[in-house]
Amino acid sequence: MPEQLEMRVFEMTGTGVCVASDDGQVVYEQIAAALRAGHAVLLSFANVDALTSAFLNAAIGQLYGEFGEDEIREGLLVSDMAQQDLVLLKRVVETAKAYFKDHDRFVAARAEVLEEDHE
Amino acid sequence: MVIALRDLHSDYAGFEQLATIANALETVVFETITIDLSGVQWIDANMCSPLGALLWRAGRNLNAIALANVPGPVETILARNGFLANYGAAHLPDNYETTIPYRRFEPRDYRDFCTYVRSYLVGKGLPVMTSALLSKLQESVFEIFGNAATHAETLLGIYSCGQFYRSKHRLRFTLTDLGIGFRRNIESRLGLVLSGEQAIDWAMNLGNTSRVGPVPGGLGLKLLREFITKNGGRLQIASDTGYWELTEGRSERSQFPCAFPGSVVNIEFNTADTSSYYLSTEIRPEDIF
Repeated sequence: MPEQLEMRVFEMTGTGVCVASDDGQVVYEQIAAALRAGHAVLLSFANVDALTSAFLNAAIGQLYGEFGEDEIREGLLVSDMAQQDLVLLKRVVETAKAYFKDHDRFVAARAEVLEEDHE
Repeated sequence: MVIALRDLHSDYAGFEQLATIANALETVVFETITIDLSGVQWIDANMCSPLGALLWRAGRNLNAIALANVPGPVETILARNGFLANYGAAHLPDNYETTIPYRRFEPRDYRDFCTYVRSYLVGKGLPVMTSALLSKLQESVFEIFGNAATHAETLLGIYSCGQFYRSKHRLRFTLTDLGIGFRRNIESRLGLVLSGEQAIDWAMNLGNTSRVGPVPGGLGLKLLREFITKNGGRLQIASDTGYWELTEGRSERSQFPCAFPGSVVNIEFNTADTSSYYLSTEIRPEDIF
C-alpha cells in the first residue's frame, strides 16, 4: 500500500472559490507529482465552497491523460466534499475518461453536425 | 455620429439590434458617438451587459460615448443598476434590491466575480430560494464566467448585469465577452467550419468540446443546459451571426444579418423552482474514480 499524502485544495489554491482552470492546474501538478513518486493522495475539499467543471477538469480530469484508471482509483481519494460536488466530480471524471479514451469521437462529431445541416 | 436605440428586450430582436449597432461602430474612431434613447420605452436591465460591452469597445477605439434623451423611467432603470454611472450620471440606490449591478471584469478577476455574485444573490431582495437552487444558480454563473475566461481569448473584458422580476419569479443574468465567439473558437481549434448558429448548437451538445490539449472540457455548457431545462428557465446565446435559445427544454436557432463581436449568454432562472437537484442514490467518494 503506498504511503498516503493528505493535500488540501484550499491550501494549494489559497481560496475556497475553486472555479478557475488555472487554480485547478496548481492542484493537478501537486497530485501528479505525488502519484508519479508512488504516493497515494487524499485530496481534501474542506472549506471549498464553490466548484466548477473547469477547475475539476484541470485539477483531476487531466490526470487521465497521464495515469491509468486503476492507478487513479488506487492512488487518489477525495474527502470533505458535499454530495452535489461529488455529483459534479463524477461527471467530470466520466467526461475525462471519454475524452482520453476516444479522441476520434470528438472529431467524428464534426462530420455529424455538418451532415445534419445538409440533410 | 448618432445612433438611435429602440426598445431593448432579451430576445432575438434585441440581440439583432445590438449586432447591427456593433457593425455600425466597427470602424469608427475619434468620433463622439451619441446613443439617442428618445425612442426607447423599455430596456431589459440585464441587456446592459451586451450594450455596455459594445460601448466600452467603441470607447476603447478612441471615441467619446454619450447617452442622450434618456426617458425618465428608462433612466431610473439604468441609474439603479449603475449603468449610467459609466456615462457621468449618478448611481441611484436600489431600494427594491432587485438589481444585480452592471459590472466589467477582466478574465482573471474570477474571485471578484464570485464575491459580486454572492453579494447580490444572497440576502438581498431576491427571493428565498431553496439551497439546492441557489447552489445550482451560482454554479451556473461561475461556469459561464469560467467558460468565457477560458475560451473567449478576450482582451476587452467580461460584462455582467442582472435583474430580478419579482412578480414573474424570474431572475435574468447576462454575461458578455468581446472575444472570438463560438464559431471562430471551434474553427481555430478544431478546423471545423460552421455557421454562427451551428457553432453554438454544436457546443451545447454533450460530448462536443473545442478542447484539444491535455485538459479535458466541454461540460460547463451542457450542465447549464440540463439545469435550465429542469429549472423551467430559459437560456439564450448570441455569438457571431448565431442566435440560440432554449425554452422549456427545446432549442431553436437563428441567424443574424451581421455578427455580434463575441458572445452573450443570458440565463433566465425560474426562482419559484422547488426541484431537488440531488441524485436519488448517494455517490460515495470511493466510487468516483
